[in-house]
Amino acid sequence: MKPKLFEMFMSFLKIGTLLLGGGYVIVPLLNSELVDKKGWATKEDIIDFYALGQCVPGIIAANTTLFIGYKLRGKSGALAAFFGLILPPFLAIILLASFLVKISENIIMNDVFWGVNIAIIILLFLTVKEVWNKSIVDKFTFFVFFLILFLMLLGLSPSIVIVLSIILGILYKKIESLYLSKKAVFKKENVSPKEGAR
Amino acid sequence: MTYLLLFVEFFKIGLFSFGGGYATLPFLYHMSETYHWFSADELLRMLAVSSITPGPVGMNVATFAGFKTGGILGSIIATMAIMVPSFMIVIFISKMLKKFRDNFYIKSALYALRPATAAMIAAVGVRLFKGSIILALPKGFSEFFDIFYKIGEFVDIKAFVLFLFLFILSLKLKRDPLIYLLIGAIFGVLLHFRHILNLL
Repeated sequence: MKPKLFEMFMSFLKIGTLLLGGGYVIVPLLNSELVDKKGWATKEDIIDFYALGQCVPGIIAANTTLFIGYKLRGKSGALAAFFGLILPPFLAIILLASFLVKISENIIMNDVFWGVNIAIIILLFLTVKEVWNKSIVDKFTFFVFFLILFLMLLGLSPSIVIVLSIILGILYKKIESLYLSKKAVFKKENVSPKEGAR
Repeated sequence: MTYLLLFVEFFKIGLFSFGGGYATLPFLYHMSETYHWFSADELLRMLAVSSITPGPVGMNVATFAGFKTGGILGSIIATMAIMVPSFMIVIFISKMLKKFRDNFYIKSALYALRPATAAMIAAVGVRLFKGSIILALPKGFSEFFDIFYKIGEFVDIKAFVLFLFLFILSLKLKRDPLIYLLIGAIFGVLLHFRHILNLL
């Protein structure tokens, strides 16, 4: 049973409104709306699409939504889900943005944002810590981290840095797999007489 | 012309940013330095507001930056531009889901992309730290010893105290952005009324 586009839009509108405190909150929201209430997807689907959403560029929550929307109703489904998701935050930001210009001129707000800026530094380092724990798994990834940090502090463009790290990753894995396959051949040659004896 | 450039820049974010909301920040930071559509200071305010409004932070900050640059049309362009690459990639991948996950090149690229993303976010953090907590670095050896008796010229002590407090808190607390932003804001208000409250 295919869900109606408008119904999908409304469901994601609800998720977009409730999505507070970072993109990863989308998983429990998708579970309660799409799995428990509507029965359009399974919990495994949601986890899979969330994982995939992290593997492709862009905003994770938006990617996850596009994947699920596409699975439910193809291209128009992906668009309906996406616009549902971003409409509430879009309107909220437009409203706040027009308002913020006025409150920015206020001196109290300057001090408030002074404190908030310091908090943002902490949030950035917490994010780094979280990604670090998941991704720095060996010497190579350790090296990549400090190389990219150095290049970024030199002021290199982020797009160039991303392309560079993709090339580095593929080169390294290519060399590693060549090295490993050579090693495997070597091992096989060593082992084969024994196996022959058996 | 600005609108076209705006589209191209946000399209690049959609295509090249990996790893969620804060991963867009290095791009926006770079944008503020290159085009001066908004200052680095304004970017931080946008990020703070984006973190406390519903919706994905990266999307919100894009909408906000677009609005700042080109009004409502600008915000629509920025939001669409960041979504278009995702949309195309998602559709492409959905069609060959199984192959994608086991593809050698995709796996190898992601293997290096994750630490690179962490480093890019760290770089923004380091720059912000240098901008708001460290005021100046000692120039040469002679100034180095000035640090010990003229510390206020090199480090914003109030900012450093708040940073240290939040840092210690982050070791104990779960990662909930709202708490940190709120405490930061409260510190700011206390700082503003310090004369009345007879603090500091």
